[in-house]
Amino acid sequence: MSLTIRLAETLRQAGDSAKGHYVIRAVDVKKIYRMGDSETHALRGVTLDVRRGEYMSIMGPSGSGKSTFFNMIGGLDKPSAGKVYIDQVDIAQLDPYELAWLRCRKVGYIFQTFNLIQVMSCIENVTLPMAFAGKDSEEARDRALEILEMVGLRDRALHKPAEMSGGQQQRVAIARALANSPDILLADEPTANLDLRTGEEIIELFRKLRDTLGVTIITATHDLKMLKASDRIVWIDDGRLARISTPAEANIQLEEVH
Amino acid sequence: MEQIGKQVRLPFRRALQIALSGIRIRFGRSLVTVSGVVLGIAFLMSNLTSQLIKQSIAQEAAQRNTVNLMLSLVKAEIGDVAGRRIAVATFGNLTAVEQLLLAQLKATADVREGAGATVRIVLGNQTNSPASLTTLTAGMSQSVVLDSLANRVYAGPTNGIRRELFFGTESAEQIAKQARQARADKFRNWWIVTISLLVTVFGVANALLMSVTERFREIGTMKCLGALSSFIRTLFLIESSLIGLAGSILGVILGALLPLVAYGFVYRFGLVFGTLPYGGLLGYAVMAVIVGTLLAVMAAIYPARFAARMVPAAALRSTV
Repeated sequence: MSLTIRLAETLRQAGDSAKGHYVIRAVDVKKIYRMGDSETHALRGVTLDVRRGEYMSIMGPSGSGKSTFFNMIGGLDKPSAGKVYIDQVDIAQLDPYELAWLRCRKVGYIFQTFNLIQVMSCIENVTLPMAFAGKDSEEARDRALEILEMVGLRDRALHKPAEMSGGQQQRVAIARALANSPDILLADEPTANLDLRTGEEIIELFRKLRDTLGVTIITATHDLKMLKASDRIVWIDDGRLARISTPAEANIQLEEVH
Repeated sequence: MEQIGKQVRLPFRRALQIALSGIRIRFGRSLVTVSGVVLGIAFLMSNLTSQLIKQSIAQEAAQRNTVNLMLSLVKAEIGDVAGRRIAVATFGNLTAVEQLLLAQLKATADVREGAGATVRIVLGNQTNSPASLTTLTAGMSQSVVLDSLANRVYAGPTNGIRRELFFGTESAEQIAKQARQARADKFRNWWIVTISLLVTVFGVANALLMSVTERFREIGTMKCLGALSSFIRTLFLIESSLIGLAGSILGVILGALLPLVAYGFVYRFGLVFGTLPYGGLLGYAVMAVIVGTLLAVMAAIYPARFAARMVPAAALRSTV
């Protein structure tokens, strides 16, 4: 199955290099939740392309469909109508095995509450996705140390999450997300549980990763500093794409939020 | 294909490791789950052990009764045997009762062949050959032939068989009544054991369900990291089988010791431990451990499926 994905990917990239420019494409995505007789339209047709290596922020009030859209482009949910392509692959076509494969290697997830596995040490957390990817443990250990070095926590490799500060935990979580060299980092309010300074460190780390690894970063956030650091800001409201702007263009709104 | 196959197989050791450290970290909760299994299996094991002890003590008591009865019949025929010179002839293999009887005779009388013996006692399962009996009892002033198979005592003053005596028989009606009573007791016992094991299963299932809902974010995170549903399922099945194994072993030890000590105080420790069939006890212990582990795994089937169905987006929810 992985071979098919790769093959399809290569073919598409070769045939249409312009499309390869986009790592995620959402085409008229709709999502309807049914509860008995009532229907909730979480998304009413969103079309959005995310460029490779882009740092994009998604904003929107709660209930706007922001989370639904975020889950959709992260391969965590499937659209009711429309298409979502992650690295040229239509996620609606994937079976559970392929979806797990995609989550394992294409997307790295970073959570508001860090979500490190509490019973595991720092390095075990980072090697976990590599174990799921079938990497042997020696190789995984070396790679984990390498990434931990990158996020500046190599010396804390054997510590448990409970022994670390929030900022450190989030950096471990970022290292874990990078384990299988994903194309996309998907971060859900990554700085919401951190103080201002630690939040800035995380933003700085994101920038560094984007510049050195060329990884695409998508965050859902209300953090002004995060918004300012991003290339584009996408506003979702009432299940629709309300506006796309650069931080400079959105300056007035940012101050309003402030 | 190859890579995905690897993805499914490889993390088993990892799953075992995660399950183990999960149990260690959530030790308090695990202890509650384990104690459910311990209690259920201890109850099962104490029942089985009590049965074994009761059976072996009853058997021992019945044997001693028979021996005493036989001895008293011997005494009735030839007078007190204590200190007397007695010749004993045995035929074939002796039954447990006959061995016990011989031991008792040897303990009180001077059991020896040869001249000077005036009393002959014949034991064994080939005692109904009149010719050899006649030879054996020749020259003796008194003789007793004990035939435990036919449940008879033959006695004669010099030679030949004088009379037959019956002993140790209960009426058929009495035996049937006892058997009925025993069956009813057994049924009631097993009924209670079954109920207690069912309670155990539901207790463990409940504790595991709690553990799943507690860990929804952890499960969701693992799924986000690329874990397959089957991995999550395996994780919970391993955890519950470890809990089941530990709980069963503890339960077996507890369940075996309790009745042993209790019966030891009621009877004598020497009698209880001396008559206990250890092979049977070990067999029951192994069986109880297997039952306990299987029940724990059975209890985990639904919680494990529940956990495996959890969507990866659950990891993103910030509130519990």
